[in-house]
Amino acid sequence: MPTTPSQSQAGRFVAAVGAYAPLLRLERAAAGKALKFSGLGGRPSGRRAVAGWDEDALTLAVEAARGLPQPQAVVFASTSAPFVERSQATLLVDALALDPTVRTGDVAGSRRCAVSALREALLGNGDTLIAAGEKRPAIAGSSQHLSDGDGGAAAFVADHGAAQLIGHASLSHDLVDIYASRERPQSYAYEERFVRETAIGNVIAPTIKAACAAAGVAPAEIARAAVHEPLAGCWRDISRFTGMTAPNFAVDLTQAVGDLGAAHALFAFALACADASEGDLILLAGFGSGCDAMVFRLTGAMPGAREVAAQLRKGVVFDDYMRFLSLTGAVQLDWGVRSEFEQKAQATVLERYGRDMIGFVGGRDAEGNVQFPKSRIPVRPDATSPEQLHDVRLADCAAKIVSVTADRLNFTPDPPFWFGLVQFDNGARVMMEFTDGDGRGFSVGDAVRPLLRIKSRDARRGFRTYFWKAALADRPTIEG
Amino acid sequence: MATGIKDKVAVIGMGCTSFGEHWSKGPEDLMVDAFVEAIADAGIEKGQIEAAWMGNALDDINVGNSALPLAHALRLRGIPVSRVENMCATGSEALRAASYAVAAGAVDIALAVGVEKLKDTGYGGLPLRTKGLANDLWMPYGSAPGSFAQLAGAYAVRHGIKKSDLKRAMAHVSWKSHQNAALNPKAHLRKAVDVETILKAPMIADPLGLFDCCGVSDGAACAIVTTPDIAMGLGITNPVTVKAIQLCASHGWELQYGEWDGSYVANTRQAAKRAYAEAGVEKPRRDLSVTEVHDCFSITELVTMEDLNLSDEGRAPFDILDGRFDRAGAQPCQIDGGLKCFGHPVGASGLRMAYEVYTQLLGRAGDRQRGTVDLGLVHNLGGAPFNSIAAVSILGRLH
Repeated sequence: MPTTPSQSQAGRFVAAVGAYAPLLRLERAAAGKALKFSGLGGRPSGRRAVAGWDEDALTLAVEAARGLPQPQAVVFASTSAPFVERSQATLLVDALALDPTVRTGDVAGSRRCAVSALREALLGNGDTLIAAGEKRPAIAGSSQHLSDGDGGAAAFVADHGAAQLIGHASLSHDLVDIYASRERPQSYAYEERFVRETAIGNVIAPTIKAACAAAGVAPAEIARAAVHEPLAGCWRDISRFTGMTAPNFAVDLTQAVGDLGAAHALFAFALACADASEGDLILLAGFGSGCDAMVFRLTGAMPGAREVAAQLRKGVVFDDYMRFLSLTGAVQLDWGVRSEFEQKAQATVLERYGRDMIGFVGGRDAEGNVQFPKSRIPVRPDATSPEQLHDVRLADCAAKIVSVTADRLNFTPDPPFWFGLVQFDNGARVMMEFTDGDGRGFSVGDAVRPLLRIKSRDARRGFRTYFWKAALADRPTIEG
Repeated sequence: MATGIKDKVAVIGMGCTSFGEHWSKGPEDLMVDAFVEAIADAGIEKGQIEAAWMGNALDDINVGNSALPLAHALRLRGIPVSRVENMCATGSEALRAASYAVAAGAVDIALAVGVEKLKDTGYGGLPLRTKGLANDLWMPYGSAPGSFAQLAGAYAVRHGIKKSDLKRAMAHVSWKSHQNAALNPKAHLRKAVDVETILKAPMIADPLGLFDCCGVSDGAACAIVTTPDIAMGLGITNPVTVKAIQLCASHGWELQYGEWDGSYVANTRQAAKRAYAEAGVEKPRRDLSVTEVHDCFSITELVTMEDLNLSDEGRAPFDILDGRFDRAGAQPCQIDGGLKCFGHPVGASGLRMAYEVYTQLLGRAGDRQRGTVDLGLVHNLGGAPFNSIAAVSILGRLH
């Protein structure tokens, strides 16, 4: 049933957006070539964003949300969250060093979950951050393995901002186009023709029409769309069914980085906002076990949107299908005896130090020197006794490399293992792992910025720890 | 006012196994082999030993916690036996403990043994030591070559030297050690290797290639120390004495405080300064006949030459290429092949270096003997350049 925001809730806005795509982009054609013998993979085009071994749904969401304001509530959305029993939203609060009294919640269940959470935030109260991340497992040879992508997206909801919700509609519909389960974490897909016809005609188009009606606008008035297609190529039929003529930025996004699951519609919404004009109507729709559609009127430039569009064009293209299989967990390589070392993390140690680690929080001593990690007696050479150190977050501080190497001896799932000493502009220095070294590697003096990444993976116990790694401050622009 | 231990401790017997891949020997065998040589050299009975220290760095690799493995292996009955561990400086730490016990008058005769059994790990290189502790939450799991390789880039930047020129000087370091080890029957890697082969070796940790890295070995070394008076009472008229043993450990300055540029090892400089003072060495380039330094990697030996003030800052690559530290050079370094080719069973290496200096001082080095040796230096480095324990010892003759 079409609805409009009630009088008391009208005026809620998306006030800022963020998004993040991993550095690596696989040429899908290279995968098609590798799979040619099998007849699988079709004739894929475009590129797929591939997360590093040390990225997961949480780190991708954190990176997407880093530039957004401090919220009063945080929602983490993903269908591929690394933990089933451990709140990613809580980890996200610690990773962003937010006030721990913020309200937190995790949503999942379908790739629509982030859009649903956004809708709830718009209909609710308080400044709310919705951060989505997705790194979905898939089996090599499946269409999802190539059509999916890894990435994160975020939106900040407030009482004032750049995109005002003027109408929305929802439809719950258990259409089993794809599913994943505890027994089968990788997506299982049903016949595309069935999905295409049923999803468009019975789910997506009616919901979009209802949202437009609720907003009091005709579908043809929509200037820009961010509609998550059930399958690539559906947009033309959705347009035909609804009468829309707007470009769908979700289509371009799929071609550039793949279907980002829970993050896809939010990422596309950010792109749709990037060059939009004040007064433009923007349609956002999430699909999966039903549909949520929202119509926004742009009231000004959307903070973060242009940065998202610029960032999408930066990365490193690769065509090594075997590396792709390894990075996505589609093959298990035997990394030898050196990979067998124990990586168990202790809960007591995490309780004492974990928040400083995932938040990258050091300390400033009585003389102003900043150090990481904190210590009772500061590292300052003339310090003689314990001092009270005051928290200093290093995650957003500029830094340069003092020393570095590409270590090819110790185990890493994606050699080489870059690490070295990093000097922060505020005086702190930290021995750090480097990440995203594709392209040109690292040298003494390079400017770097910290990214939250997986520090260790305890495969035996299904646990992981997080810490910040240094990446080059800027990425190369993708040609073509 | 402390006066140090110069000439208060005499080394009366030393032993050292061959280093290498001892598939057929356990750590007990290695300790016994080193001890049998040392006690025969000292000419004493085992029952005269009043205290012992066992140096072993990697306790979870087939040696075991505590000093019990040594007490059991040598059947040391009814005396204090302790284990010491200071990473790769462990061997020097064992010698320091035994020497201090003698110098303090606590015992007359003490034993120091260093041992490591690395080749039961099933792979090359040193094992990682992650234990779920706080540092594991943030410290990179870098390898030893990875940690030391970083010296090279920082050194090149500091001194404005081209990486290719630095690499060639590093290659000369390794070439020299292979040349020297070819003459040493106890060395692990005894094959001479040409410079081009070294330069083209597979990369381990940029810019360290395979031949820039020391051997990972099994082995043990041993020293028996006493007072000079007791030594002379045993008929040793001019015993080898300890002129200095100094040690310096990082307190976090390199890792956490924004001053160090990554191009040298600060603790080596501190330990050397104190050791020279303790031994009364005013001009190390003039006074030291031979040196055994911790050449775990070629770049380590290169920067150590400057840290020990054996080269001027920024000049070590040129002094190395000029042959100054070759076996026939003005001040030979690693005349026994060094960690690079003698091998590096971690807990034993400090004592192995002392063994070579001791052997040279007594003129027993055979084909590799460096004429008359008056004073020799041992530099033993634990940890990594950014978080290190440096030990510098100086040995000479009493008269």
